[in-house]
Amino acid sequence: MARNSHERRAERQWLLILLPSLVLLLAFVIYPAIYSIYLSFTNEALTGAAALRPRFVGLRNYTRLFNDAKFWNSLFVTFVFVIGSAVVGQFALGLISAIALRRPIRFRRVFSSIILLPNAAPEVVAGFMWISMLAGGDNATLSRIVSTFGITPADWLQVFPLSMIIVVNTWRGIATAMILLTAGLSTIPAEIYEAARMDGATPSQMFRRITLPLMMPTILLYMLISAVSTIAVFGLVYALTRGGPGGATEVVSIYIYNQSFTSFQLGYGAAVAVVALVISLVLGIAYVRAMKVEV
Amino acid sequence: MKKTVLGGLCAILLSAVSTLAQAETIRIANHGQAGIDAMKSTVERIEKKYGVTVEVIEYPAPDKDYLTKLLTELGAGNAPDLFSIPTTAAVADMVEAGYLTPVTKALKAWDGYANLYDVAKELAVSPDGETYVMPFMLGIQEIYFRKDVLEKAGISTEQPKTWQELLDRAAEIKQKTGAYGLLFPAGVSWGSGAFDEGFQHLLVGSKTPQLVDADGKLDLNGEGIKDVFNVYKELIDKDLMPTQPLLGPEPWVVPKYQMFPAGKLAATTCGSWCYIFDWGRESKNPIPEVTKVVGTWTVPGESSGQYVLANLAAPWAVNSKSANTELAIKALMEIGSIETQVSYAARIGNIPASKDAAKNADFQKLTELVRIHAAAGNGVFLKQASGFGTVSEGVARATEALLRKETDAAGAQKILVDYVKETLGDDMVK
Repeated sequence: MARNSHERRAERQWLLILLPSLVLLLAFVIYPAIYSIYLSFTNEALTGAAALRPRFVGLRNYTRLFNDAKFWNSLFVTFVFVIGSAVVGQFALGLISAIALRRPIRFRRVFSSIILLPNAAPEVVAGFMWISMLAGGDNATLSRIVSTFGITPADWLQVFPLSMIIVVNTWRGIATAMILLTAGLSTIPAEIYEAARMDGATPSQMFRRITLPLMMPTILLYMLISAVSTIAVFGLVYALTRGGPGGATEVVSIYIYNQSFTSFQLGYGAAVAVVALVISLVLGIAYVRAMKVEV
Repeated sequence: MKKTVLGGLCAILLSAVSTLAQAETIRIANHGQAGIDAMKSTVERIEKKYGVTVEVIEYPAPDKDYLTKLLTELGAGNAPDLFSIPTTAAVADMVEAGYLTPVTKALKAWDGYANLYDVAKELAVSPDGETYVMPFMLGIQEIYFRKDVLEKAGISTEQPKTWQELLDRAAEIKQKTGAYGLLFPAGVSWGSGAFDEGFQHLLVGSKTPQLVDADGKLDLNGEGIKDVFNVYKELIDKDLMPTQPLLGPEPWVVPKYQMFPAGKLAATTCGSWCYIFDWGRESKNPIPEVTKVVGTWTVPGESSGQYVLANLAAPWAVNSKSANTELAIKALMEIGSIETQVSYAARIGNIPASKDAAKNADFQKLTELVRIHAAAGNGVFLKQASGFGTVSEGVARATEALLRKETDAAGAQKILVDYVKETLGDDMVK
């Protein structure tokens, strides 16, 4: 059926409204992504002859990357970091906080504010704050705490570097998890719990049979946002360890930075960034597909 | 219509005036409060002498971050007119990238040129035969050791004559005092220091003392490189060198600022600045009577010879895309003055490259540096080549693998060669 002039005008208006967003998206997301893909096929560098006369090197950066043990190490470290801090730490503690704060407890607002506090500090400031807590020496906060229990103080960022950055990132992400999961919890009608209680369901059964299944779309949405944003975490890890000791915390974002801005190999850094982008895309598609599954 | 034309003309005029005004301003990149303070009187002098405004832009203090920001801006074409380069190893690559203005003619015509130590002049010449930097300060490095700790334990403080003697001395220190015997900066976190303050010391006294062949190719398969990595390996395997702190984000803090002053590390490579900043009057953890209790050894060669390493300390250069190159070059020559050299020596602890600095009354007050300045002309160095920045990073990676006990000397050399080949291409390496 032919569209009338009113529909066409409405469509043009919609396009006009969307135009600024489209332009911004093109300028700051699509174009940089395409340019990164182009860079990944060159030997572009920040210094040396390649900075003056970059040339096309075909798949050389990708061949190098797949044979680079440090790259694989960074992927492994990122995987553990995402599972540890986003999937397990932030999700579990965020869900516990959301459920706990849903109940009528005293000082609920105070607790909510405390949980939201980690997001008030900028990433790098939070990193430096945690350095003072986790540093070596008898005066560091954690060392002083553990020594009261008779445990030998340590330089925590040296001895347990990956575990420590997982703890710090978990601390920082609980608030986001809690907010999202609280929103999910609020969509579950109270009547369902009431009916279940009348049928004799235990709290554990209600959690497994009602809360979790009905929360699944929210949980998957949270997982998507959390996993992708954790892959991109940079400032916190850079402030805490700079990827050390010995690459133990060199997540993929730090690896990209090190290749591009410490070794000054922009082409190779771009190749790593493209691979990281592909991984994030695959993850995103997987979650989006999972979210379509009926609960 | 008239109004529009008039408006357009006004805009063009304003833009022209603003461009002219900008031409009378030179922008200088500086990093670290000490560096900014050292340049203060020079900046005032340049402004007065040439009637220009000098805009000093403060950059991040750590050398690694400073270089990253500087190179990013140079690459983008919006870097300041004048800047210092934190490591000599970066100069040749920056020349290749076309970032620096050649200053050979101006430098040779400058009245302070003849007075520079030959080693400074030679260090400033790039592989293409041109000079792009003002070689006004030298970094003179040796091995600094705790004389008091060694004497107390009955260990000889005599100059070790070979690498083996140096290793034996380090082992004796460990055995008799429990302190680590010797530190060579190593690992990725130390950045260019792994090359500048560690690897180079030993390489100049090895069987293959240079990294560049006659054709300008990087010669990284030499026997000397493997022997140097073997020294690291022995120090690490026998626990004569602290390794764990070197893997952290600021690897110099624990060994240099804590262990050495506490006597838990007895010897380390360092430069003249250590007598002032690391352990001297400007230190947060000073060693009392530092020049008496901390002695120096030259770095022995593998089987003979003694070496004092000389580097250009943060040489200044002019941006090739400077809006006012002529003025920037004039300002560069002012930076080379003895007054600025002494100001830098007092605040940073490096050595003036002019011989006449010795006659300067203010420099004579820097008693820790006077003796080192007198001998600065004997410093040795590696011939510079493009790709040195990559070699420096490769050395950092190779020594990190040694620190983590993941490889032996031959493996470390392979890491270095592979990294440089992968980064620069096979044809750059002999």
